[in-house]
Amino acid sequence: MLVIASLSLSSCGIARQRIPNDFSQSNQQEPALSGNGQKLALIVDQLGRPTVQVKNLVNGKKLSLRHLSRNQPHSSPSLSWNGRYLAIITQRGTRRIAVIEDLVTGRYHTFPLFQDKDPYLLSLAPSGARLAVQIVKNGKWQVQIFDLSQVLEPDKPSGIIRQTNL
Amino acid sequence: MRKDFLNQAFKKIFFFYIPFLTCLIGISSCGNSFQKPLRSLNSSLIQSANSHREPSLASEWLITLANHQGKELIEVINLRSKKKVALPGLNRADTQPISVSISGNGERIALVRQRGNKTELLVYRRNTETVQLIEINPTGIPRKVSMDGTGKLLAVQVSRGGNWEIDLIRIP
Repeated sequence: MLVIASLSLSSCGIARQRIPNDFSQSNQQEPALSGNGQKLALIVDQLGRPTVQVKNLVNGKKLSLRHLSRNQPHSSPSLSWNGRYLAIITQRGTRRIAVIEDLVTGRYHTFPLFQDKDPYLLSLAPSGARLAVQIVKNGKWQVQIFDLSQVLEPDKPSGIIRQTNL
Repeated sequence: MRKDFLNQAFKKIFFFYIPFLTCLIGISSCGNSFQKPLRSLNSSLIQSANSHREPSLASEWLITLANHQGKELIEVINLRSKKKVALPGLNRADTQPISVSISGNGERIALVRQRGNKTELLVYRRNTETVQLIEINPTGIPRKVSMDGTGKLLAVQVSRGGNWEIDLIRIP
């Protein structure tokens, strides 16, 4: 089940793969590719709780997440270039908060309140230097960009990643 | 003698214990990271449209759905110059964008849009100003798309038979 299955080629040279349903959960939502296209974060139903999973598309393996097996529902996953950082929205009490897990060091960063607004959607820049957050303000959707360059080490395309379970 | 002792104790508390405890409190709050808002970019975003949603960041680019007097348009902003990029042929009056994603160099845009009663998956190329329809096979209704940094791989959330599935699609 670890092999990426069902590759089909259409007449116009577009290759398709469907992610095999090897998670034993049915619904798969909110796909987010890493910049290098080798990892995929997605939300699956785990006993009715939307939970993030990260998959290595090269070998089909599911990556272990140190801090993200609880605080569901999870939503809006986003990966950096090599998939070192996973940004996601989790639950803390009655609030939704943005968090980032460093899959290399295991560090966990929380970004509690964006102007006292709960985040609705996130997008992490491939380098990890910026985070875009969608919030509601005065009844309107708003996107705000935050600088994380003092918080996260860059995850550059040429970056060397320490071999862990990545 | 007693005065000296009190003096020493006061100095110890003032110069050692208080700074030590302050440092300890500072270290223990490391779990929360402090993000710095990019104020000029954020205020230009607020001023440029009624609202923005569905943000997706690439190295130097931000793509969003911007609401202009009730009509949502796909907008790409160069984060360095803070200027909008022209997207000829992408935003059509008869379509409603649903999900967008941009490649690392900002040249390719993947989008899901509603046109009439059809939901389509497309890739827009900025250099040729062309839109390519991407077929969903087996048939399904796309909802959300993510494009990798090279702009050659898409992950698409597709509704099929009442289930959400994810398709990976490689494009030339």
